[in-house]
Amino acid sequence: MSHRWNFGESSERVVSLVTPASVRFSDQLIAVLPRLRRFAAGLTRSASEADDLVQAACERALAREHQFQEGTRFDSWMFRIVQTIWIDQLRARDIRKEDGDIAEDRLGSDEPVRRVEARLTLAEVRRAVSLLPPDQRSTLMLVTVEGLSYKQAAEVAGVPIGTIMSRLARARIALQQLFDAGAGERRSASDASA
Amino acid sequence: MQVHSDESLVAYLDGELAGEERARIEAWLDADPAARDRLLALAESATLVRNAFAAIVNEPVPERLIAAARGETPMPAAEAEVIRLRPAAAKPASVSSWRRHVQLAAAAGLFGLLVGAGAGYLGNGILAPSGGPGARPAETVALDNWLDNAAGDYKLMVNAGGTLVDVPASPDNGEVLQKISQNLSQPVRLPDLKPWGLTFQGARLVVLEGRPAAQLEYTTDNKAIGPLALIIGSTKQPDLAPTPGQRQDLKLLYWRHQGRATVLVGQSDLGYLWGIANDVAWQLDAI
Repeated sequence: MSHRWNFGESSERVVSLVTPASVRFSDQLIAVLPRLRRFAAGLTRSASEADDLVQAACERALAREHQFQEGTRFDSWMFRIVQTIWIDQLRARDIRKEDGDIAEDRLGSDEPVRRVEARLTLAEVRRAVSLLPPDQRSTLMLVTVEGLSYKQAAEVAGVPIGTIMSRLARARIALQQLFDAGAGERRSASDASA
Repeated sequence: MQVHSDESLVAYLDGELAGEERARIEAWLDADPAARDRLLALAESATLVRNAFAAIVNEPVPERLIAAARGETPMPAAEAEVIRLRPAAAKPASVSSWRRHVQLAAAAGLFGLLVGAGAGYLGNGILAPSGGPGARPAETVALDNWLDNAAGDYKLMVNAGGTLVDVPASPDNGEVLQKISQNLSQPVRLPDLKPWGLTFQGARLVVLEGRPAAQLEYTTDNKAIGPLALIIGSTKQPDLAPTPGQRQDLKLLYWRHQGRATVLVGQSDLGYLWGIANDVAWQLDAI
């Protein structure tokens, strides 16, 4: 049995928006795993941590299967579980940063510049996302990466739509600044080596 | 009011504005080149973020997550020895009988899952199922010895701090492979594991199944995954589906396919190792 998931570019096709009741709960869960892993990868700072989070979410979902309302979006329900567990973990570790507080870190600051072009690598983009405050990171992943509407993201996060708009704008502005800083360092390194 | 302006532009880009609000933003964009530049920059950054996470949905899902979604509780690491082919030693008397039955059932379930998936992956069912607990003792002892050696070679490699290679990686890895292949009965191929964040560091000769084999060393900054050793040798033994093993904190996957024996050794989660093994097997047959 193969577990290689190939959903093409549009992950939105993976899970029907409203899941038929006939589909087994665990099958729905398995189908949404790739997107949960991606969401968790945006929230956490390592692949193993992301998978630990998804695993915990699976266990909680199975324990609370009766709470899922047929006719509602299964993926949103799972995103909410992932986010809830993640926030609980952050609180437990007491590492949650205040909204708007971005770590004093810059792209490429602790590793040698391997390429001379100013183009950012995918790893650097992920790292930039990891520097965002938790609320902004989560909102960015839900809307920009997972393609949820503001209303759906607001339901997952349990906040008003206006809060989603504001978090998203702050996240995108902060990312823009981080990208500009990273590209600037690239250009500086390139100029220096020329 | 930069945040407010950007908030509107982001919402516009996300298709969240309608009616008068949308018209107002479009009029602003028509009139203000700086706003248009800002819109383009925000659109580009959104594309960068989407692309950065796009590949994850195409990665093989770790087996432990499949098991979790099915409600199958994975074994704790300490119990992983249960799935070794050699009959396990007697359990301590303190473990209650019902708990032992649950553990054994979980172990059997995981073993079946891995081997079953392996046969599907590595040859579309061509590979025969592995021996399992009923395999002949001579084979299980030999397999255990080979895995012991592979784990030992890995420890040597890690303890040497990445310097224990006969032929270091170079810009032209074809030359590296040629050098290491001189001592082998068939040329070695080099799987590209960059998508896993693993960088090839070099190769050295080791022994697998009593024959010379190439140990390829990969490293990564991600401590959850690497370093990793891939041992590729020849074999006259029949095909064998991927068989997991564990030596202390090391995880191993061993398989034989069409005269080639392969062992993957690392410290990562077995699910990840399995995903990498799947990629390696595909590449070795496709290269």
